[in-house]
Amino acid sequence: MIRSAPVRDALFAVGGLVLLAALPLVFPGKAFSDFVIRLSAFAVYATSLNLLIGYGGMVSFGHGLFYGLGAYSFALLMQKAGASIPVAFASTILINGAVAAVIGAICIRLKEIYFSFLTLAFQMLLHSLIIAWTAVTGGDQGLTGGVPRPPFLGIRLDEPRHLYLFCCAVLVASLFVMRHLMQSPFGYTLRMIRDNPRRAAFLGIHVWRIRLLAFVVAGIFGGVGGMLISLFVSSAYPDFAYWTVSGEGVFMILLGGMGVFLGPLAGAAILLLLNDLVTRFTEHYSLVLGIVILLFALGLRKGVLGLVTDLWARRVAATKGGSSAATPAA
Amino acid sequence: MTQTTGGLISGMLLFLVAAGLSLIFGTLKVTNFMHGSLYMLGAYFAYTLYNLTGSYAAAVVGAALGVGLFALIFERLFMSRVYSADVLMQLLVCYGFILILDDAVKIIWGAEFLSMGMPAAFQRPPILLAGGVLPVFYLFLIGVTLLVALVLGYVLTKTRIGKIVRAAAINPTMTSALGINTALVYGGVFALGGLLAGLGGALAVPVRSLVSGMGFSILIESFIVTVIGGMGSVSGALVGALLIGLVRSFGTIGFPLFTEGLMFVFMTVILIVRPSGLFGRSAES
Amino acid sequence: MLTIEHLRKSFGGVTAIDDVSLHFDQGSLTAVIGPNGAGKTTLFNLITGAFRPDAGRVLLGGEDIAGLGAPEIMRRGMGRAFQIASIFPSLTVRDAILAGINAHRRDYAKVMRRFPLAEAQTQADEVMELVGLSARAPVLSGNLSHGDQKLLDIALALALEPRVLLLDEPTAGMGPEERWQMIETVHQLWQRKQMTLVFIEHDMDIVFKYAQTIRVLSYGKVLAEGTADEVRRNPAVIEAYLGAHFEGRAA
Repeated sequence: MIRSAPVRDALFAVGGLVLLAALPLVFPGKAFSDFVIRLSAFAVYATSLNLLIGYGGMVSFGHGLFYGLGAYSFALLMQKAGASIPVAFASTILINGAVAAVIGAICIRLKEIYFSFLTLAFQMLLHSLIIAWTAVTGGDQGLTGGVPRPPFLGIRLDEPRHLYLFCCAVLVASLFVMRHLMQSPFGYTLRMIRDNPRRAAFLGIHVWRIRLLAFVVAGIFGGVGGMLISLFVSSAYPDFAYWTVSGEGVFMILLGGMGVFLGPLAGAAILLLLNDLVTRFTEHYSLVLGIVILLFALGLRKGVLGLVTDLWARRVAATKGGSSAATPAA
Repeated sequence: MTQTTGGLISGMLLFLVAAGLSLIFGTLKVTNFMHGSLYMLGAYFAYTLYNLTGSYAAAVVGAALGVGLFALIFERLFMSRVYSADVLMQLLVCYGFILILDDAVKIIWGAEFLSMGMPAAFQRPPILLAGGVLPVFYLFLIGVTLLVALVLGYVLTKTRIGKIVRAAAINPTMTSALGINTALVYGGVFALGGLLAGLGGALAVPVRSLVSGMGFSILIESFIVTVIGGMGSVSGALVGALLIGLVRSFGTIGFPLFTEGLMFVFMTVILIVRPSGLFGRSAES
Repeated sequence: MLTIEHLRKSFGGVTAIDDVSLHFDQGSLTAVIGPNGAGKTTLFNLITGAFRPDAGRVLLGGEDIAGLGAPEIMRRGMGRAFQIASIFPSLTVRDAILAGINAHRRDYAKVMRRFPLAEAQTQADEVMELVGLSARAPVLSGNLSHGDQKLLDIALALALEPRVLLLDEPTAGMGPEERWQMIETVHQLWQRKQMTLVFIEHDMDIVFKYAQTIRVLSYGKVLAEGTADEVRRNPAVIEAYLGAHFEGRAA
């Protein structure tokens, strides 16, 4: 087993990317590549939310704000400002970061449920803004006119294969960066604050600053997810900023396991599969999803990956004879 | 004047919903994230009851009681299971219900906007007051809400039941040890909160259109109201609701976006200056 | 090293600390005793900056730290362990201590490198060895026994390389055997680190055996101070606190 954690993670990332790149050879259909692209958007978004919830103990109900903001910022920059993709990408990151800094500064001082609800309120404010500012955003119809995909660095995103690889690359890169951040001293300080903010303060840590930083990072990557989806659908819709995006994000995290870094990815995959499956048979997706969520909330708690890691840990402990336990966030 | 009365009734409806939310949070320490759905159910129940019976009074009472009962069942069968769990689980339970109810409403009543119009009893010429127009129904609504507010305030502060509820809010273990059935108290408070929301929905039907998902925006506003007024405070909810109602009303003179923004600015200012709200307990971490 | 001058603190109408003046010599081992409600924990809270005193000064190495926030005071060389162990349940013992050291070194916000930082390892090992938790290094803090959690609490305070260490009832909640082990560990680490150590304790046998000097608090005031013998013989102390416990004991 390779000892150095960063090298291990890098190999894992490269391996994952290679795997993703090769899969279309096995599953050549458009349905598959569309699924993976949508998954990449949701997985980046859900993982970014887990930085807050799983690692930071900051339960945001309004993270969908950044998904929607990312989608609209990117789409508008491409469509109206005629920016190149790298420029639009970078600008969206800046915009999301700035908005996250402002909203975070207001919300983070509040405790628990107030923080949760205020983030949601801000999200709905953005949603109202999108619906009302028809001249710019197209109102409740969404952005019309498409999102251009000019070539850059030899990459032509209007070609399906390029788009697929690009989204996979962004997915892997985003997850890798977020992973690194969580495994840095900053990440462990965040965990300390999650576990016992009072003691963390007693150790001389500026709790508020760390939380704000986490909020901004999460906001940025939430926006990256939004960018991917807007690139894919070649538009931006008010639904991207609706509160259900936040709800689904929370569900994805809990479904996949918030204690495991890749849990949100697994949860996103399961939810998307569920979505595709259910919509094939009925138009009452909400009803089915609602029932699934209820069953989950009243039954299975640690999420799918969480269950797997628990069982694994128990197996390891049984053979070692030492003490075993579940890790809230590895 | 028209703006003021419009704002007043918005505020009154909002108060009913927010008071329920605040009560539930204050006593059970749980945020009823699906509270808006109870409002929605109240509206749809009232709509159907009115169409069935022709009596608006019956519709309002029936709807309020029906939603109260629904809330009780919800609390006993579902919510109580996640009291000791993470707030995320509580959120999920509510989220699941919102989705189920939104679709259920679509299935039963259809996905289009419904509108009831003014009930026969209120189809009278409006009162002319101070240069503006005051529909008779508005008077009724304001009157009923104020009455409810007064009764609620009285029951909570002056009666034994009210004392029990407040005791359970402050110290559930002790209250239970004193022989009070806290499960009953919790169920009762939740049912009451639901009843208030349902009442709000029922009273809203003549002046608002019904659609699946209509509960969510009032949930957000209710929350803003409780933030401004202070979580757990009924009088705070009244003041906050009236303020928001009036802000909304006068804001619509300008750009609609401006209203939402103004609400937020207002709320942010209050949070910075007085984090515990005008009447409430501390909200700062 | 640590001097308290005319400290006063009231909560609502209750005076918790009433004109308390104390001095703790550099490198001393002092026990603070007194009945429940005497204000011992409040005194610690005031010294460590959890509360702001209404009046008075707290001098750490000559500098007045009264009124500074807890993080600032911690940075000036004060360490504190709590009555109920205040730890980070999801981190392993080693990771928690490493993170504490990071905090002390102001490395806690670094993002470019991976945790744990190599330079913190030696210190972490030393701290674990000092409190006797080396064998428990990979265990999740939340899974530790109560006694070990108290040790970890002390270890976290030690991560700050304190000049003054305040331990709030280090033996709280322990059985008789464990209590002596704990105080022995505390004594050893005091000797090795030569720091100024103050601990709150209720077990008189432990207090009289280990403490160099004792301060007795009652109703927010200093009732007596001195060596074990002096305090044992102090009539006011006997009457107010020790009383029945010491009937028939040889001096």
